[in-house]
Amino acid sequence: MANKISGVVLDAAGHPVAQARVYVVKAPGPAPDVAVLTGPDGRFALGAARSGTYEIACSTDHAGTASATVVVGAHDAVVELRLS
Amino acid sequence: MATTSKKAARPNPHTAVSNQPHETESTIKKAVTVPPSEGTNPKTVKPGPGGAEAVPGFKLPKEAASLEEVYKAPETTSLRDIAEASFGPPPPEEETVHGFDDRVKITTTTVYPWRAHASLLITAADNSQWIGTGWFIGPHTLATAGHVVFIKGSGVPGRDGWVKRIQVMAGRNGASLPFGSVTSTNFRSVTGWTTSSGGDENYDYGAIILPTQLGNTTGWFGLAVYSDAEIRGAVGNISGYPGDKPSGTQWYDARKIDSVNSRKVFYDIDTAGGQSGSAVYRIVNGNRYAFAVHAYGGASTNSGTRIVTPVFNNFVAWKA
Repeated sequence: MANKISGVVLDAAGHPVAQARVYVVKAPGPAPDVAVLTGPDGRFALGAARSGTYEIACSTDHAGTASATVVVGAHDAVVELRLS
Repeated sequence: MATTSKKAARPNPHTAVSNQPHETESTIKKAVTVPPSEGTNPKTVKPGPGGAEAVPGFKLPKEAASLEEVYKAPETTSLRDIAEASFGPPPPEEETVHGFDDRVKITTTTVYPWRAHASLLITAADNSQWIGTGWFIGPHTLATAGHVVFIKGSGVPGRDGWVKRIQVMAGRNGASLPFGSVTSTNFRSVTGWTTSSGGDENYDYGAIILPTQLGNTTGWFGLAVYSDAEIRGAVGNISGYPGDKPSGTQWYDARKIDSVNSRKVFYDIDTAGGQSGSAVYRIVNGNRYAFAVHAYGGASTNSGTRIVTPVFNNFVAWKA
């Protein structure tokens, strides 16, 4: 099965944020230009078809933005995005 | 011993076969088009100069010579990415906004052509939700990327395959839905996308069929099959609903097309996640003709699925 980047979006106080828009900013190859919305628990998962370094970001209308760089290798990458 | 051959079963009655020979420049002698419609009471925006739309605050960027300045970056070539320690040298990074972000917000989304674009809220098979963009090609049909209607290679059990439903919000402007919201569960793509391993980006296109005739009100884009030379010399226009901007707001950019191959078009038009499925279109004699479907972020360019003859024929069939 293909690898993925999964994680959670948290607000400044550490609470999960639902409906945040999470998307790939940089990828080691062409990346589908979609954005996933976080679930009620703030969690998300994005496909990562290629091994390498990804920059992902998230945006919200009222809780701020965040970004992170993750490395996808033989296994899935897990990331916490803390909004500010 | 006599042998028999079996025809491969069609994977889904909704899928169209798209295994035509690759289009080449020599096969396109003259552009093939179907015309746009501006819908009812369109108040159509008069195009701007140079093949771009006239949008307050937008100026078509100067080309090649000035881009060297635009993309001038600090000298970091001697620095290595820490990822190399584990995975070796990486391929070039790919990103969706290059240099300055030229996108401008569209506020007049109730007029043509902006209202022919739709914000999409996609619910996948595993109930995860996504945002994307679609555009009308007929009274009840929107074109979009294949990966908007059929997810491949997600890595999440239960997610891959046809999405459950898509909420279509034409001409959306933030919380304002000037044409309401229509939900579709009826989608089209092609086997080149749906049955390929991981999804073949050369066939990444699809369509959303609405249960209403909303396109008669919003209008739709024309479709065109252009030669390589016509595409290389064109200004590409993209408007859509990116996730890095306030929810449901429409953003526009335009720039000269970088390059083209037999199945894809490459450009430096800025986009972000959520704009998958947008039209890449030209303005010809005041009319808008789509010639690609935006789908991917790229290293120095983004890219879309080129509308070659088999793609054109499928879109025409799906809009009937």
